[in-house]
Amino acid sequence: MWPSMAAGEKASGTTLRNAFGNVLSFFILLLIGVLAFSIRLFSVIKYESVIHEFDPYFNYRVTQFLTKNGIYDFWNWFDDRTWYPLGRVIGGTVYPGLTLTAGTIWWLLNSLNIPLSVETVCVFTAPIFSAFASWATYLLTKEVKGTGAGLTAAALLAMVPSYISRSVAGSYDNEAVAIFALIFTFYLYIKTLNTGSLFYATLNAIAYFYMVCSWGGYTFIINLIPMHVLLCIVTGRYSSRLYIAYAPLVVLGTLLAALVPVVGFNAVMTSEHFASFLVFIVIHVVALVYYIKGILSAKMFKVAVTLVVSVGLVVCVAALAVLVALVASSPTKGWSGRSLSLLDPTYASKYIPIIASVSEHQPPTWPSYFTDINVLAFLVPAGIISCFLPLSDASSFVVLYIVTSVYFSGVMVRLMLVLAPAACIMSGIALSQSFDVFTRSIKFQLFGVPGGFKVDAGETSSDSSVTENDGAKRDKSEDILKERPSRKNKKKEKEQAEKNPVEKTSIKSKKEKKLLVLPLEVSLIALILLVFLGAFYVVHCVWAAAEAYSAPSIVLTSYSPSGLHVFDDFREAYGWLSHNTDVDDKVASWWDYGYQTTAMANRTVIVDNNTWNNTHIATVGTAMSSPEKEAWEIFNSLDVKYVLVVFGGLVGYPSDDINKFLWMVRIGGGVFPHIKEPDYLRDGQYRIDSMATPTMLNCLMYKLSYYRFVETDGKGFDRVRGTEIGKKNFKLTHFEEVFTTHHWMVRIYKLKPRKNRIRGKTKKSKTKSSSTTSSKRSVVSKKNPWN
Amino acid sequence: MTIHHSGKMAMSLKSNHLIILSAILTVLISIATANSHSDLVSELLSLQSQSTSGVIHLNDHLISRFLTSTKTPRPYSILIFFDAHQLHSKPELHLQDLHNEFSLLASSFVTNNPSDHGKLFFCDIEFKESQSSFGMFGVNSLPHIRLVGPDAKSLKDDSIQMDQGDFSRMAESMADFVQSRTKLSVGPIHRPPLLSKKQIGLIVLIILIWLPFAIKKIIAGETLLHDRKIWLLGSVFVYFFSVSGAMHNIIRKVPMFLVDRNDPNKLVFFYQGSGMQLGAEGFAIGSLYTIVGLLLALVTNVLVKVKNVTAQRVVMIFALLVSFWAVRKVIYLDNWKTGYGVHGYWPSIW
Repeated sequence: MWPSMAAGEKASGTTLRNAFGNVLSFFILLLIGVLAFSIRLFSVIKYESVIHEFDPYFNYRVTQFLTKNGIYDFWNWFDDRTWYPLGRVIGGTVYPGLTLTAGTIWWLLNSLNIPLSVETVCVFTAPIFSAFASWATYLLTKEVKGTGAGLTAAALLAMVPSYISRSVAGSYDNEAVAIFALIFTFYLYIKTLNTGSLFYATLNAIAYFYMVCSWGGYTFIINLIPMHVLLCIVTGRYSSRLYIAYAPLVVLGTLLAALVPVVGFNAVMTSEHFASFLVFIVIHVVALVYYIKGILSAKMFKVAVTLVVSVGLVVCVAALAVLVALVASSPTKGWSGRSLSLLDPTYASKYIPIIASVSEHQPPTWPSYFTDINVLAFLVPAGIISCFLPLSDASSFVVLYIVTSVYFSGVMVRLMLVLAPAACIMSGIALSQSFDVFTRSIKFQLFGVPGGFKVDAGETSSDSSVTENDGAKRDKSEDILKERPSRKNKKKEKEQAEKNPVEKTSIKSKKEKKLLVLPLEVSLIALILLVFLGAFYVVHCVWAAAEAYSAPSIVLTSYSPSGLHVFDDFREAYGWLSHNTDVDDKVASWWDYGYQTTAMANRTVIVDNNTWNNTHIATVGTAMSSPEKEAWEIFNSLDVKYVLVVFGGLVGYPSDDINKFLWMVRIGGGVFPHIKEPDYLRDGQYRIDSMATPTMLNCLMYKLSYYRFVETDGKGFDRVRGTEIGKKNFKLTHFEEVFTTHHWMVRIYKLKPRKNRIRGKTKKSKTKSSSTTSSKRSVVSKKNPWN
Repeated sequence: MTIHHSGKMAMSLKSNHLIILSAILTVLISIATANSHSDLVSELLSLQSQSTSGVIHLNDHLISRFLTSTKTPRPYSILIFFDAHQLHSKPELHLQDLHNEFSLLASSFVTNNPSDHGKLFFCDIEFKESQSSFGMFGVNSLPHIRLVGPDAKSLKDDSIQMDQGDFSRMAESMADFVQSRTKLSVGPIHRPPLLSKKQIGLIVLIILIWLPFAIKKIIAGETLLHDRKIWLLGSVFVYFFSVSGAMHNIIRKVPMFLVDRNDPNKLVFFYQGSGMQLGAEGFAIGSLYTIVGLLLALVTNVLVKVKNVTAQRVVMIFALLVSFWAVRKVIYLDNWKTGYGVHGYWPSIW
């Protein structure tokens, strides 16, 4: 009687404690979500609720179309407002995940009678999904190492700078939802692996489908999971749970992926996906071996092994041969340039200058790690080691995840984004474990509580049935060592939560060896230092969110002694275009401004940021690098009415068209060889001052940028290049200035109509000159690359 | 018009003799030079066929024979690689690499263009052997590649030097240079495959034989792969390798350290500016990143099991000091290198 009574009392105490712990972690998670959302609002507070940069404008425009015309029209949308006169099939060339998500949110809100604009929904999609991503991180880490580690990891992810850089309010790009999808897919995979449930396996395939819809980075998943499966098989960890976690994912996932138009048959045809099929074959062979092992006696099995191994080998070799043949038949050996440069880091720098030239494809240096994951860089090794003690299926997966992602991030700085969740998980595990150890040491030595310890011993008996793999059930043992001194602020509450879980191993070992503690005073110091480390992380993240990653780049600000200056020239120019030009007018600019022009001014552009047609871009580049007359011919043949140039010389805005001009020359010259880069360089130097070459001083870009520039200060001093311009007073013959924004950052010119050939006028004044121009024009029109 | 024309006719009739004479003379001379030229070409061709790569080794004597003592226009261009054995030990010059690339270019040209035989020759000169030729070309720094065109009279002034940029992309860019200056197309560069066919066959055979044994071992579970320590070390090493920016160093071919320009005895280990880093710098910071985590893991996983309290205390104090120092050092260096001032947002007024 008595013992059972005691047990019942103990059980009710534990239930209460568990219930309390669950409610507490729920509220902590809620706060983490609020934190993740609100830390990304700096851009809205400092600037305004506006879409950022370039690509998000395209996504915004697509979302607008979706909300206006519905899903079917979106799917079949042929956009004639861009790449004039070619147009672009939007439905089949975009990853629709982001657009559909934001469209659904908008539709939901509107059907609930919450009348938000599409733009508002788009601006806040990324912060909302950051909150989801931190919750997904909690779930994933909980599967690996328990609730405490999960909460810590979620809190870290909520404010990791690398992720903030891609998900501030207004940064409406694919990565905004894709990182959530990535973590959630990994969570469901681990969940399936831990439970062996087909339900989660199906969910996993659906989550993978969402990821494929959202981002090209899905190839990371479809390579990482097979790698893990192979690793498990090779290290003798095959189980039916592994089979259930993997096989449905490949079959369902591949079928679903092929449904996304932009992926289509790539899901089975390109090398990025072959690893998954190979492992699919291997896992079946292994499953067969295990099955046969189960039904045969040991002796018979040995005989069978030789048979199966030989048959399996033949099958594998045949499959391999087919794969090799497939791979060899495609020109790039089936790999895209970017994937190749991940495998062989020096590949891109040697062979693909276009990939190598993009700044986010550069390999990072050590300060990038400190800026992007900050103190997590110190904690990750501890997390890795803790994952090895003990090594489970789940923890081996996160180890593989961190190792691959850290390697990839070393090759390309933009993949730091994929590393960030892994680093948060690892640091969460490490931090949680060390908080656990230090607080335990302090508590046991300060209060000398053998009572709490007794409860532990009681707990372990129920815990000992837990298998090694089941991190999921481990959270039962949380909330045992709860101590609740009154603490006021949020952050400390979190730390408190971090102390909650107790490692099963430590409990076990405690049972054997009694107290596993460190000296009191040193633990105290260590705890304080760790708190300081965490505090530094928070300060750094807030700083990064507020200062480094919040500028929308469509509105610029600068601080000067006289105060804050706002440069809103881009929207001024696009507004002018939409109010003062005809709806069907065509506007030519360099491709950087294509998305913005179509989205904000609603005018047809020649090229845009989706750089799918090099010849078309080269045509615009050639026009910009040609003298006025030839440029006029080219633009006129493309039905262009207005030409837009971005000019930073007056206010010192460095990423203007003059600084991008050499790329126009290079790309133009790549297709139309009469444009030669050396013609624009004086002794290999790019300059626009009086030493510049005549070709440079006569090209359209120079003229459109510096037309009437000398009137501003009388000298024509360019504040970006830091020099006086070479040719100051000139007139335009074929273009007329129609609009220049307040700070001269955007200048819009109109193509003059073709001159009437008035017989009288020709006779009267310049017989010779007009005849030469007309003859020249015929020559020129031959040169026009568009004809 | 007509008057002028007839006058010219008369003039030409008068000087008929002179023209014929001079014509005969020029023909004779040109035949003579052509003869000697064709001799030279065939001699060069035989020299070329003697060398395996198609690079002719020149010395002072051959230079004067093929270049200085011949009359311009010569029927051939010569691309000369200036080599110095004594500088082969200096790796930053890449002399041997460049020479290999040069040989590749030569052999590719010979195999690709049988019709252009004798129009372009690839040669090299060694500094110790032919110092006077180096002087004649005015070459005082290596690596140096020079094209002597058919019309070049003065070796120093009329020949064209290949820019640094032209041999940066190895044989392919050298081929572009040759193409743009001589109007002779080199064609694709034939690089020797990394492994010959025999070697590939051998490797495949070994793998096939080894495979069943490997599978047997894997099934038995007694390979290196089953050793967790190896996986642990491997993952920590990959982490260290990546966060130290070693990939950046490999791709950019960054040196481990620089020599200070102002003071040659001083070495520069840390580079200011966030877009660049030096090799030693990266590894130093990478190990600082890693050591803190390793110490933390040591304290939380190993030290708790130690029974001796004094040992625990000493190790922990050591670990804390080192970690504290490492974190502070990284923060300091990061601020120094990037110039960012990370600051908090403390409320100034409540």
